[in-house]
Amino acid sequence: MSVPLLIIGSGLSGLAAAIRYARFSPDVLLLEKHARIGGLNSFFHRNGALIETGLHAITNYAEPKDKKAPLNQLFRQLKLNRKDLPLQEQIQSEICFPNRESLLFSNDFNLFYSQVVSKFPRLTAAFDQVLAAIKAYDPFRARPFISTRSFLSDSIRDPLLIDMILCPLMYYGSCSENDMDLGQFVIMFRAIFLEGMFRPRGTIKDLLDFLLNHYTAFGGKIRLNSPVVKICHKDKKVSAVELASGEVIECDHLLSTIGYRETLRLLGQDTSHESLTRLGFIESIFRLPVSCRQELPLDRTIIFYNQADRFRYERPHRHVDFNSGVICFPSNFHGIRPEGYFEIRSTHLADYHSWKSLQSSPLLYGEKKRESSRRSVETIEKITGNFRNNIVYEDTFTPLTVERFTAKLEGAIYGHPRKFKDGLIGYGNLFLAGTDQGYLGIVGSMLSGISMVNRHILSAL
Amino acid sequence: MTRNDIKELIMEIIADIDEDADFDSLKPDQPLRDQLDLDSMDFLDIVMELRKRHKLQIPEEDYPQLASLDSCVNYLEPLLKDA
Ligand SMILES: Cc1cc2nc3c(=O)[nH]c(=O)nc-3n(C[C@H](O)[C@H](O)[C@H](O)COP(=O)(O)OP(=O)(O)OC[C@H]3O[C@@H](n4cnc5c(N)ncnc54)[C@H](O)[C@@H]3O)c2cc1C
Repeated sequence: MSVPLLIIGSGLSGLAAAIRYARFSPDVLLLEKHARIGGLNSFFHRNGALIETGLHAITNYAEPKDKKAPLNQLFRQLKLNRKDLPLQEQIQSEICFPNRESLLFSNDFNLFYSQVVSKFPRLTAAFDQVLAAIKAYDPFRARPFISTRSFLSDSIRDPLLIDMILCPLMYYGSCSENDMDLGQFVIMFRAIFLEGMFRPRGTIKDLLDFLLNHYTAFGGKIRLNSPVVKICHKDKKVSAVELASGEVIECDHLLSTIGYRETLRLLGQDTSHESLTRLGFIESIFRLPVSCRQELPLDRTIIFYNQADRFRYERPHRHVDFNSGVICFPSNFHGIRPEGYFEIRSTHLADYHSWKSLQSSPLLYGEKKRESSRRSVETIEKITGNFRNNIVYEDTFTPLTVERFTAKLEGAIYGHPRKFKDGLIGYGNLFLAGTDQGYLGIVGSMLSGISMVNRHILSAL
Repeated sequence: MTRNDIKELIMEIIADIDEDADFDSLKPDQPLRDQLDLDSMDFLDIVMELRKRHKLQIPEEDYPQLASLDSCVNYLEPLLKDA
């Protein structure tokens, strides 16, 4: 078998890339290792309930009339209609550094602005200066790494405000420890503070079904349960891929969304000597009856918290670092009314290697998972109020869970600490898209898939 | 295709990309980009649609020829004379 375009991975970047191409030509095949599409954003069923994995809130909210906004570009490029996919905006979110300061923000930037200037009045001029620089910056121009921390501390002379601004941006979009590249900072600042957050009205399953139907309606093809085990190449050009079943599929172009090192492995390259730190996370989901919803905040969509002196976004030396994290209320969006049950989710930084050392002992691993979820509850209850006695179901994903289900090395959701903005890794017809190309998150990974297809594949046809 | 057919074709493709595109005040000799708020991604769509519908191969160095409605017609007329 031979196809003009093969795409490895049906996460959101692979799906978006596949739709973009299928819009003009149906000769594209999407290969997915799992029985289900979605990658990091997927779902599972437990006791008759659909539980979402991934998705807290999607960044880059924009009104339909704002045509140049990334979200609307994405719809337009994929020929999707906003009317077919109702989006629900966040209520408001909070950056909470207990006993120190709290900043609210919503999809109206004025809220965040007024919070900053009323709580840090001395820094108004400095904050204005940073805003002007963010608005003028072109994050898509290629340049070497510029430190965001030093950029911010040039004008904002208060580490507390700097940490508070960085906390949500790092949790939702940084693959590197403690500092981030200025371009990525600008992208995330716009995506979260200037644009805002939303979620689809339905579940992630509805969103994935919607995208897949759109793709197959264009004539695109997909194969599930089809792990690629080898990429065949000669003279820096890819000729085919080999599936676990032994089947070989030839292709003209190959787009890989599974990550840089993950792709090198399939090319047969030795990747063992790499030493860069990958960030791991642990995520717990708690399901509660709606009857106790009133006792918890109804007007917070996401809470980003930090209770240490300084905000440290780095790989912990123990299983989990509870000093900071993200608390998400998936039912606290405008227009969403949970029936029967609702969820609270928590995310913290975690160390892959500590979890990996427990892998050989399922008993200890399970115990550590339960202990981590208990400690997460104890920690976040100080911010949300108590809920532990009402939990009817809970589950926890460690970096090992993420690695198992998405094949991301070390379960690092944001992938390799270095990104490949042009999607090139040294092979004439092989391109990277998704997490390791550099646009993170749901909208980011979809735009990554689209832009790599535009740049390398459609324009070369 | 006549010059007018080609004009219709281009407008149809653009309307398909942006359903709010306003052709009433469009000046055929002025750049489409400024008048209709199209960006480079949208131009790629026009090229790809022409390829899909009429099997036209437009090399990247010729994209500037698609700048205005008039220049599109001039450029496409010989290519679509038998279409
Ligand atoms: C717990 C959690 C919460 C998150 N919350 C949010 C959020 O609130 N908002 C937001 O915007 N983003 C969120 N994200 C991040 C977002 O999910 C990702 O950035 C995005 O989905 C990445 O998509 P991707 O296509 O690049 O990668 P992936 O989703 O990892 O897709 C890669 C696909 O490739 C497949 N694959 C791997 N190896 C092979 C192989 N050899 N052969 C065939 N297929 C293969 C995998 O199975 C997978 O389906 C969250 C992630 C997690 C884990």
